[in-house]
Amino acid sequence: MTTQTPLSIKKVKSMKNVMPRQQAPFSWHAYLMILPSLSVFLIFYIIPIFYLIFLSFHDWDLVNPVKQWIGLGNYFELLQDADFLQVLQNTFVYTLLTVSLLIILSLLTSLWLNQNDIFTRFVQGAIFSPYIISLVSVALLWLWMMDPQYGLLNAILTWFGLPPYPWLDSPDTALYALVLVSVWQGLGYNTLVFIAGLNSIPTDLYEAAALDDTPSWKTFFRITLPMLSPTLFFLVIIDLIASFKVFETIAIMTGGGPLNSTNMLVYYIYQYGFRFYKIGYASAAAVILLIILSILTWLYFALLEKRVHYR
Amino acid sequence: MPWRNAMRWLTTLFSISGMLLLSIIFIFPFLWMLLTAFKSYYETVVFPPIWIPSSWHPENFVKAWSSGPFLHYFKNSLLVAIGILFLQIPTIVLAAYAFARYQFFGRSLLFALTMVTLMVPGQLIFLPDFLILSQLGLINTLWSLILPFASSAFGIFLVRQSFKQVPEELLEAARLDEAKEWQIILNIMVPMARPALITFALFSFITHWNDYFWPLVMTTDDVARTLPLGIAKLRQVEGGSAWQIVMAGNVILVAPILLIFFIAQRYIVRAFVYTGSK
Amino acid sequence: MKKRTQSFKEISAVMVVFVFLTLMNACGPKETTSTSNGASTNANNNASSNTNASPSTTAPKEKIVINYWYSWGDKIGETKESLVKMFNESQDAIEVKAAYQGTYDDQHAKVQAAFVAGNAPEVWENEIASVGVFAQAGLTQDLTPFVERDQFDIKDFIPGLMGNSYVDGKLYALPYFRSTPLLYYNKTLFKEKGLNPEGPKTWDEFAEFTRQLTEPGKRVGMTLAPSVWYYEALVKESGGEVMTPDGKIGFNSEAGIEPVRFWKMLKEEGVMKVPTTDDAGNVARTDFENGRSAMYFSSTADLTKLLELAKGAGFELGATFMPKNKTYGVPTGGANIVMTAGLTPEKQEAAWTFIKWITSKDQTIYQSTHTGYLPSRISAVESPEMQAVYKEQPLFKVAVDQLEYAGPRPMMKQYPEIAKILQDEIGRALIDSKTTPEAAIQAAAQKAEKILSK
Repeated sequence: MTTQTPLSIKKVKSMKNVMPRQQAPFSWHAYLMILPSLSVFLIFYIIPIFYLIFLSFHDWDLVNPVKQWIGLGNYFELLQDADFLQVLQNTFVYTLLTVSLLIILSLLTSLWLNQNDIFTRFVQGAIFSPYIISLVSVALLWLWMMDPQYGLLNAILTWFGLPPYPWLDSPDTALYALVLVSVWQGLGYNTLVFIAGLNSIPTDLYEAAALDDTPSWKTFFRITLPMLSPTLFFLVIIDLIASFKVFETIAIMTGGGPLNSTNMLVYYIYQYGFRFYKIGYASAAAVILLIILSILTWLYFALLEKRVHYR
Repeated sequence: MPWRNAMRWLTTLFSISGMLLLSIIFIFPFLWMLLTAFKSYYETVVFPPIWIPSSWHPENFVKAWSSGPFLHYFKNSLLVAIGILFLQIPTIVLAAYAFARYQFFGRSLLFALTMVTLMVPGQLIFLPDFLILSQLGLINTLWSLILPFASSAFGIFLVRQSFKQVPEELLEAARLDEAKEWQIILNIMVPMARPALITFALFSFITHWNDYFWPLVMTTDDVARTLPLGIAKLRQVEGGSAWQIVMAGNVILVAPILLIFFIAQRYIVRAFVYTGSK
Repeated sequence: MKKRTQSFKEISAVMVVFVFLTLMNACGPKETTSTSNGASTNANNNASSNTNASPSTTAPKEKIVINYWYSWGDKIGETKESLVKMFNESQDAIEVKAAYQGTYDDQHAKVQAAFVAGNAPEVWENEIASVGVFAQAGLTQDLTPFVERDQFDIKDFIPGLMGNSYVDGKLYALPYFRSTPLLYYNKTLFKEKGLNPEGPKTWDEFAEFTRQLTEPGKRVGMTLAPSVWYYEALVKESGGEVMTPDGKIGFNSEAGIEPVRFWKMLKEEGVMKVPTTDDAGNVARTDFENGRSAMYFSSTADLTKLLELAKGAGFELGATFMPKNKTYGVPTGGANIVMTAGLTPEKQEAAWTFIKWITSKDQTIYQSTHTGYLPSRISAVESPEMQAVYKEQPLFKVAVDQLEYAGPRPMMKQYPEIAKILQDEIGRALIDSKTTPEAAIQAAAQKAEKILSK
């Protein structure tokens, strides 16, 4: 790709990622470079995880100096608790919806906004603005907008002749209302990352496609998407993990309700640990969260990274 | 071909109105926050909601600012956010480089460990971290707000993706020229990853600037506190908060980020548009 | 190459800013902690402090420093900071450092963490429903010996407020910023409709009032935020208790079911609106403020704000007891003040001195007049200052009078979890037409039983 002759699409596709790798397996260079990051992670994340695992085998209310060993007791209790299973389901559904919507919408938006005139720059700034403001500042506004009787959203719906939607007021719809808020929050950032990715695609590829008179959808699927795959790969897993970890949105907007319909893992854990004085139980739930996420991430990397087209 | 011109004109019209709609949807809450900051208390709770305040109350900002040592909070927020970035960039670049371009024993395991840190929410590990930092005597200091974030798995991951895109031939050429590793990193890898680094820097700055939970837990009094805590203090429970003051506080919180955005926008855009395959 | 200088420029720019800020930090006021007092640790240069503190200026005596953690900001926080400042200025043996710590929940979590780490604050605020947990775990200090030794007058504390101060017969906390729920109403609307301007006294009257006040499409009689605190009140009014004094379930009875039945009936009649979202309290309040509802449950601490609001909205505010079913009855709310256990004798004395001071008559008068929370002492209520306040604005006295019927909140460790279950099940009964109040309470009782039996 350092040559000047435009390449045809076929040639691009057939270019395999065959690069001779560096040094021998025990590279001091590499270890040294990773050391600073790894020390931070070890001290502030890995050790705490072990502490949490340790706590999960105990019954502790955080104030009593004595911790009671109960082995797998917390885990058994958790897996039989209807509330916990509900929370798991909520988290999965919420994550699925939020991530799919986010990725699809921001990809489309990034294609649309990938220009450099003053209008697009303004819009880029606009969609990024929810990101800058912490949710606390606008949670009130969202709550008001979603009020089933007097809120703006239902006013708009009825103006179009549609029936009013309960939004946060009903256990059947509150989850979807939260998905909306989260997508609104994350669209700007995701779009920006996609735009960055789009801009790192060498233009000569597009030139070659144009020369071959390729229709735009084909260009999209054969050039843009593969070239974007590293970015896509990154964003999907990041959004996935972030959605799984959602806390503030719930704490501020719904408190887990109504009727536990928006209660999600991290909120559940925090409630049980610090409001209900059951830190052992909460830690067990935390460990389950970690296990689920680890499996998901591992699967993700194992199955999908080979499909990512690095240059 | 008049109809083709018409089509083009129509598409542009759609495009612009679409963009306008999009902008409104996203900026709307932000504008509301800004306008509310100028209202009187009554106007913040009345229904139907008032958009534009009938009289402007800029003294809300003064009230918010003087409700606590805001200049001090501001300074702390700046120190923390910049301090974190200052530590993050080198640690991330180095680690990402190693993960992206080196083969070494235990690479997958160490990368997996890195990714695991992404999965742990702060609400869960604050307790053990509090204990650890307490042992180190760092509770209620700015270090407790900076050190746990001195590196970032998010950043490493993001930059690794960019680094993996650099063609090997470029690096080989450089090595043939007897370039040292650090020169390669600085002169080839970092520029290639510039959009990613900038994106990450923005993300990191904004996240830590707006962080309420971690400073709340790690500080016990004002000496190391940051802006979000100062603003939270404007709220009240059993008596209903003075929303106009709270919003004024929130505007104060957001202003510096907007400023940075404004000033650095051209630079950011340039970094994004940079296509670096040559 | 251009790229190299570019990278260097970026890095050096960041470095310069960072170094600049660090320098700024080093020169700035680093050690000032609380916003009130200026007595800091890095300054022996006490130039003329503008307070009439002690005259010793040469060698300042070694002060005992104690930390006091409080919750809530705005007016309440200001009042607390002022009180601390007054204390520090009134003597120079002890210096109290006040620090805001978020909500009650936040503060409790932090105290727990700090205790585990070994550096808990000496004095802090214990929300009344949690007093039991911390006392039984050995986190707070038994104050009985101190009270006895100093003959501290605890009989002067209003009896209705002492319920959440004793654990297993020992005194662990003293009433501090306390409240009760009240029924607020729109007096102007009442007069318009020809309803008793003193407000409804019984449940039946209350129901009748809501029917009279409802205008479909325009206003409901009341918007209710179905919180556990109000449920506790209605259960007391029905002659029962949510939890019995010996820690068993009390709501699984007629007294526990009646409130749910009552609320459900009114909701289904359309005369009472019951949002079940997390910000139901906000909705209830906004409705009341905008004339979309005529009645509103809230804490007495809300009185000052509501008065201001009513004036702005152009209606006259009324406040009265929560209506009675078989009797009047309300839980109390707010927080008590506690001392951490395990302090050195020196610190204990200092903490005790502070606690004594801040719960004494003058300070509780100050606190009440500035925030709307209840005065905690009988002598305070009878004092000329408070009497003058009550004369000028009789609504301030309503909560005080209601204290005759006030009782403590349940304090056991499992209560937060049980409260959540109750809230969920009651919510379910209110939303779902197929769930009867009996079934909901039954379900709640079953789950609560399981929690208690562990």
